[in-house]
Amino acid sequence: MESRAVSAVAPPGRAFYFTRAVYSDYRSRSRGNWSTDFPKADRQFLIGLTRLTGIDAYEREHPMRLDDPALRRYPFLYAVEVGAMALTEAEVTGLRGYLLAGGFLVIDDFWGSLEWANFEREMQRVLPEYPIVELPLDHPLLRTFYAIEEVLQVPNVWQGRRGGPTWERDGYVPHLRAIADDRGRLMVLINWNSDLGDAWEWAEDPYYPLPFSNYAYRLGVNLILYGMSR
Amino acid sequence: MAERLFELLFKYRPVVFARGDLVFAAPWPLVVVLVLGVLALGIGVTAYRRSPAAVSARARAGLLGLRIGAVAVLVFCLTGPALRVSTIVPQQNFLGILVDDSRSMRVADGDGRTRGALAADVLASGGPLMRALGERFKLRVFRFAETLGRVDSVEALTFDGRRTDLTEALAAVRRDLATVPLAGLVLVTDGADNAAGVLADPLLSLAADGVPVHVVGLGRETLEPDVELSRVAAPPTVLEGTAVAVELAVRAAGYEGRRVPLQVEDEGRILARTEIRLPATGEPTSVRAHFVATEAGPRRVRFSIPLQDGELIAENNTVEALITVERRTERILYFEGEPRFELKFLRRAVAEDEGVAVVTLLRTAEDKFLRLGVEDSSELASGFPRTRAELFRYRGLILGSVEASFFTHDQLQMLAEFVSARGGGLLALGGRQAFAEGGWTETPLADVLPVVLERAVRTDTAPFFAEVAVELTPAGRDHPALQLRGGAEASAARWDSLPVLSMLNPVREVKAGASALLLGRGPGGAYVVLATQRYGRGRSVALPVQDSWMWQMHADMPPEDDTHEVFWRQLLRHLVADVPDPLDAAVSVDRVEPGRPLTLSAEVADSGYVRLNGADVRATVVDPAGGEHDVPLRWTVRHDGEYEAAYTPSLAGRYEVRVTASQRGQLLGQATTYFEAGDVGAEFFGAGRQTGTLRRIAEETGGRYYTPANLRTLPEDVSFTESGATVVEHRELWDMPVLLLLLVGLLSAEWVWRRRRGLA
Repeated sequence: MESRAVSAVAPPGRAFYFTRAVYSDYRSRSRGNWSTDFPKADRQFLIGLTRLTGIDAYEREHPMRLDDPALRRYPFLYAVEVGAMALTEAEVTGLRGYLLAGGFLVIDDFWGSLEWANFEREMQRVLPEYPIVELPLDHPLLRTFYAIEEVLQVPNVWQGRRGGPTWERDGYVPHLRAIADDRGRLMVLINWNSDLGDAWEWAEDPYYPLPFSNYAYRLGVNLILYGMSR
Repeated sequence: MAERLFELLFKYRPVVFARGDLVFAAPWPLVVVLVLGVLALGIGVTAYRRSPAAVSARARAGLLGLRIGAVAVLVFCLTGPALRVSTIVPQQNFLGILVDDSRSMRVADGDGRTRGALAADVLASGGPLMRALGERFKLRVFRFAETLGRVDSVEALTFDGRRTDLTEALAAVRRDLATVPLAGLVLVTDGADNAAGVLADPLLSLAADGVPVHVVGLGRETLEPDVELSRVAAPPTVLEGTAVAVELAVRAAGYEGRRVPLQVEDEGRILARTEIRLPATGEPTSVRAHFVATEAGPRRVRFSIPLQDGELIAENNTVEALITVERRTERILYFEGEPRFELKFLRRAVAEDEGVAVVTLLRTAEDKFLRLGVEDSSELASGFPRTRAELFRYRGLILGSVEASFFTHDQLQMLAEFVSARGGGLLALGGRQAFAEGGWTETPLADVLPVVLERAVRTDTAPFFAEVAVELTPAGRDHPALQLRGGAEASAARWDSLPVLSMLNPVREVKAGASALLLGRGPGGAYVVLATQRYGRGRSVALPVQDSWMWQMHADMPPEDDTHEVFWRQLLRHLVADVPDPLDAAVSVDRVEPGRPLTLSAEVADSGYVRLNGADVRATVVDPAGGEHDVPLRWTVRHDGEYEAAYTPSLAGRYEVRVTASQRGQLLGQATTYFEAGDVGAEFFGAGRQTGTLRRIAEETGGRYYTPANLRTLPEDVSFTESGATVVEHRELWDMPVLLLLLVGLLSAEWVWRRRRGLA
């Protein structure tokens, strides 16, 4: 419950805030699973984002709880390590309202069938009427800024540095999946069996392979521009 | 009463004095009379000189004065005073009697009797008036409404004419009776002319010929009790699904303060119902009816107020307008200089709207653009349009947060011309790089915008940011673009409860002639949130907030609330309403009586919206029976690119007018408009007696104005005329009762005074 102490204090008036979802989980980490790679990944990604695009983005991290009504001011949301997500009813209600009103949630960095099952169960609570589908490679999201031709598995920093296997647990194949609304507009984008956050966080590390961080930035920019235009 | 008293004292009615000349026709020479007068005075003066000294000089002078007065009256009588007047020779002259046969004569505002019944009574064959006139004149009775015709008697009138044309009636009767000695005309009417003719023409002609027009005014000036809906101002063309505001004038008498429903119907289907408050008697007021145009095609929209108890005219509670509802997609270019959520939510709000297509050009990075909603791969391929033809394809333009320096000087000029010359709608959104903060102050667009941009922006202070609570202005309350669901009151209440928005541009002032529709109350006072104005041929709108999407996303907005969608759909439709095409066609009126002409007009321009005068413009008028009539339109010379032709429909029903314009064999454009031929019901609007007009007719031709109550003297009055076959008569004045009274009065006063002084 330490996560409840987190609140966003950001100056108003900027066009974009990289808002990280603060949620409840059943693992006992010091700050909760939501804070994986926080805040360095957020800050490093924002440096790249503002360098590559014309977005007037707030330069710092911006965590927000799902049950905070002020979340509605930030229509882009990033959540990681959702394999242990255990949403409270207030969080379910908050996230559901947020997504149905037009918010866009990006899920990152969770691996294997067990974590998928947990995440799927939680999303069933949030949006029971909407199925999770595989994102086709010709989806506009993958052409919004950069043309992304394939879905790469981005490993965590330890495996990436070692040049070792890119997968974790039984998550051998990376997937981009999505939940769309009745009109086909994406509400949730799920980056399963891949870890964009580590690639952003360690992009400056000379031992972390460039193709992974390159891909992570390109996909990240596309996600945000899609979330701001569609 | 006054006239009777005058006649009692002066023997004749005032009209005789007005028309006659004073002459002296004594049978003896005037010198004799003067000598007698002087002698009488001499005796009087001598007598008073000899009176006792006790009589004061003042009394003597007074007594002498009375004596002089009495002698003067006698002398006047002896001079044989008379009035020389021209009167008609009985049965040698014609008198034209014109009776209004229009439907306004059916109004029962004469103590329960219709004006027609009153006219029939007054002019009944064998009645006192007609008998008296018949003794003096040869009578010719005419009926008139839209035209003039001879009738044998007033009993033949049906009071069914659909228009009253006084100008035509007076001109026609003059032509009809041109060859006979015409002593005058008697015009019996309520004066409710609705033909817009130039009345001065026949009046001048009648006055020049010395033909007096005596007018009998029927009806009451103010119809009470009555409710009248008139002057409907509706847009001739709207986009399907658009919220329309129609302005109507309401006139009422006798129902002040009563709340009545105003209903809007589209061929039997109720579109809207709103409650209005009836104004005080004689104070016309303007009301607005709001509805959504849902059915495509030419629609006859009917506005009505239910018949109130005791109303004099039922027909004027309904008024209609022909509105062409178009099913087409208006393309609007949205240029956004930086990624922001406003773009996402704006596009989402109108995504389902088939009436507008928002073609989006988003600058995602330096020289990198994302195109959304383009028709093909070439559209906007090289970024923002660089030519007028490319930009003027769009009917609306939304400028987001983009700095003025992004554009070349020519592009800036083009933006201004998009509104002023092309007639497009421009919407400027608030943002980091918008308005003064985007360096727009010294650009051509600053003139176009409806708000005042600050002269300079300070860069040494933190950027402006304010959260504002939005409120409707009075103009916004009535504006069609700001009508939310559930009627006017629910809509106004909804506006008061919307979440706050934020602004990065401190816009505080609208320009003269612009309307502020929404204001924002913030910590620093009031800011302009939405303003609009006409500029040149087009329209500009400013919305200097940056996150209208909060009306969609905010936690206080229920999921089913569609305020954000409705606002954007209506605002974008307002933006492109009335935006011209290269060819626009119009008709002068949307309803006309069969047999009456109307004007077909067209405005023609090339693709760069330069007006063309040498085009070949033709209209094909399709009548209700399916017949096609080819009508060429000619350049009017008054204005560039304006063409006109007259057309007179013969059948009742709906006509379609298809206009094409071409130049040197190349088609410039096609346009279709509609009108209807049928009963326009003009007689029931403005049907009160037009006393001013009627008095003017009488005065300018030398006639008199009567009401049915004072008609008794009409036959005699008409006799005094210089027109037709007349004789000169002398009417003696010496025996006027007033002279006798004067003489007796003077002599009695002198005698009483003398008695008191002991002189008698």
